[in-house]
Formats: sequence, C-alpha cells, structure tokens
Amino acid sequence: MHHVLLDRWSQRASALHARDPRAKIIVLLVFLIVLATTPVQAVVMVGIQAALLAAAVLLAGLPFAGVLARAAVVLPFSLTFGLISWLAGEPLRALALVEKSYLSTLAVLLVVGTTPLPRLLSGLEALGVPRLLVLVAQFLYRYLFVISEQAQHMRVAAACRQGSSRHRRPRFHAAAGALAMLFARSYNRAEGVHRAMLARAFTGRFSTLGSLRFGAVDGLFVVATSLFLVLVRLQ
Amino acid sequence: MTAVIQVRDLHFRYEDGTQALEAVNFTLNAGETVAVFGANGSGKTTFVLQLNGILCGEGSVSVCGLPVKKETLAAVRSKIGMVFQDADEQLFMPTVLEDVAFGPLNQGLAPEQATTRAKLALEQAGLSHTLNKAPYHLSAGEKRRVALAGVLAMQPEILVLDEPTTFLDPPAQRNLLDLLRDLRQAKLIVTHNTRFAAALANRAVFFEKGKLVADGPVEEIVQRYDWAYSPLAADFRYSAQRRF
Repeated sequence: MHHVLLDRWSQRASALHARDPRAKIIVLLVFLIVLATTPVQAVVMVGIQAALLAAAVLLAGLPFAGVLARAAVVLPFSLTFGLISWLAGEPLRALALVEKSYLSTLAVLLVVGTTPLPRLLSGLEALGVPRLLVLVAQFLYRYLFVISEQAQHMRVAAACRQGSSRHRRPRFHAAAGALAMLFARSYNRAEGVHRAMLARAFTGRFSTLGSLRFGAVDGLFVVATSLFLVLVRLQ
Repeated sequence: MTAVIQVRDLHFRYEDGTQALEAVNFTLNAGETVAVFGANGSGKTTFVLQLNGILCGEGSVSVCGLPVKKETLAAVRSKIGMVFQDADEQLFMPTVLEDVAFGPLNQGLAPEQATTRAKLALEQAGLSHTLNKAPYHLSAGEKRRVALAGVLAMQPEILVLDEPTTFLDPPAQRNLLDLLRDLRQAKLIVTHNTRFAAALANRAVFFEKGKLVADGPVEEIVQRYDWAYSPLAADFRYSAQRRF
C-alpha cells in the first residue's frame, strides 16, 4: 500500500485540522489576494505574512522542515522567472516573485496538509466549484494510487527481463510500451468503474452525504484571520 | 419456490462479432445459492452482466418479476446487488462510508437514512471501524467486504458475486464465507474456487463456449467436468478449449 505524506498529515488532530474546509479555503483565498497585492518593497509586510504561515504550521503540528522542503517544489520555476527579472534589471521584482510564489505554495500546502482530500473537495463544491471539476479531482486522487501501483509492477516486471542490457533504445521502447499499456488499462478500469456505478443504480447524478459543519468557531476563524491579513496589508 | 431470476433463450454477441452467449436458460429461486463454473472466457461474466442490464442481449431476462429493460433498470438494479471481481473498481468514493452510502443515495434515500443504512451494512460486514478510511488504506479482504457492504446497503433480493475469492488469502476467504452464509439473499457466485462454491451452494451451472451446458448439484458438476483444482490435466483440457 502507498500512502501520500500529505494524506497522513491531513489525518492528524489540531485546531487547524478541526476547522471546516470552507473556512480554510476562504482564508487561503484572502491570504493569496493579500500576498499578491503586497508591494514588492514591503519587506516587513511579507515577513509578517511568512511568520503567520510559520505559526500556522507549528499550530497544525506539521513537521516544519518537511513542509518547508515540500513547498520548495515551486522554486525551480520561480527562480527561473526571478533570474529573468534580475537580468532585466529588476532585482526587487525578482525577489518578490520568488518569495511570493514560495509563500503561496506554503499556504496551499498548509491547507491541503490539514484537510483530508475528501473534505477539501466537499468544501470546494460547497463553495461553488463546478461538480465536474471536483469529480475529476476526486477520481484522479482515488485512482492515482492504483495506477501508480500498476506502473511500479510493470517497472519491476520490465527490470526482471532486462538482464544486463545497458542500451537506452530497448529501455525507451519498454517504457513507451508500458505507458501505452498503462493508458489502455486505465481506460479499461474507467469502464469497469462506470459499470460498478451503474450496478449501484447510478443514473448520472452524484448525490453526497454532505457532512460538512460550519460552526461559530469557523466563522470566527475566517473573520479574525482575514481581518488581520487585510489590516496588515493596509498599513 | 418463487423464481427471483428467470432467463429464457438468451443470446448475446459482442460488437466485434464474438458470440458470447447462446440459448441460455436459467432460473434462480428465492433463498437459493448457485455457483457458476466455466473456463475463462466461457461467458460467465457476460451472463451475469445481463442480469442487471449492463449488457443487453436477445431473449428474456426477468428479475423479481421485472423484465430487464431500459424502463425498469433502476428498479432491477435495486433488486440485484453485484459485487465485481476487482474491488478497486467498485470502491470509487473517497471514504468507505461515502462509498457504501452511494447505492442508497442513488435509490433516493435522504443523506441521514443513507448514512444509517451504510453503517448497518458495514456493521454486518464487520467493518464499522473502517467508516472514515479511504478505500486505498484497506487490505484486499477488507476491500472485498466493503464492496459487499456497498451492495448490502441497497437491501437487494439477490446477490451476484463475480470471483469473490480472487486476491484473498485463506483467512480472508473464510471470513467472506462466514459472512455470505449469514445472508438471506439468493446468491449467484461466479467462481473457479470449487471448495468455496461447495461450502456455499448446493446447485451449480456450467458454461462452455457461451452455452449453459449443465445444471445440477455442485459435486456432480465438479465431478462431471473434472473441475476441481488438483488434477492439472483438467485445467489443460479446458484451456485448450478456450474460445474467447
């Protein structure tokens, strides 16, 4: 069985984990808007935003270094564009590009790492994200594990029959064949899933249990955090 | 005895021209458990997919007195619960509870009622502790039982299980056997596992090249077609006869 680290993080218990996903998504949106509109020279403001995120990571009980390291996934892209801005003679813009993209990723990671994906998707749907998009994300997440497991089995099977060959061409051929096979299998599985849905009286309309609860604490969390972010931004 | 499934002169041909079923006649009575045997590709799965209208051939199929046709599909699919061979295909919702409640919600139940039904079905399957788990966190045996719970939550009259013991270790097979024994529904079990079939069913049918060629007591069918696991010669004989 394969577990995604984020999935494990999201199963933990903390004040942030307990918040309704809608509350976290709204605060995330406010944070991203405030961050995006923060002037490039407002270093202290960005520092406060970063400190807020760091405090939230600690409050959620997530491994600090682990979260920071995973947010660095965006750096190769932002550093490239930052370098272009730097070479164009705009070092402040380059710095802002890197720090804003990194902090945005950190914020998203924080929400995903404190909300189990099913609840996150329910929250997105409740906030008006089209059902089709939510379903695509839901099925992708559900079958990503199954497909990656199949891919690993195929890789092992290929390695077992590879012998000592170091030529790249046959390897490339094998990888291409495996990819095609994986696509065909995924297609077959999609048909199988659809059959299983039909067998359980599915008529084309998805109904859900809708178990989200937006309490007073969630409301307070949204108002207080958003107000703080906006007030800092307006300074 | 009341017949809950009646199939008369059923024929089915796939789009590529393969004749998968030919003149199939079959009856399943209330409370009865019947094993379906046959070589790979002999038409067993194609046959069971006709029973809830996933595939539609020529001939007549009726379930609990309802003819299987477009207008009756919703009612038929509420009467006949199908557990597929690959549990991963059946467990597509993000959590076990949501997956088991999927069928009851499609039957038009309110979320609260669907939740109650799902919890009861999970309790029946001995899996109440998995309620909020994601399906990919379950073992193969648990997945199979959750798939069964998803069907039981719809309170069907008939259960159809396609290769229920595939990927299950012996303890998980025993657990499944105990669970199925306690269920009152009429059952149709497609399997190669003759021991499992003999422990549950007293009647079996045998498919060969799309035809239902024998119907009788399990032991008699197993002996007549040499369908037990041990004699390898029998396996070779049937793999040589494979048509599809």
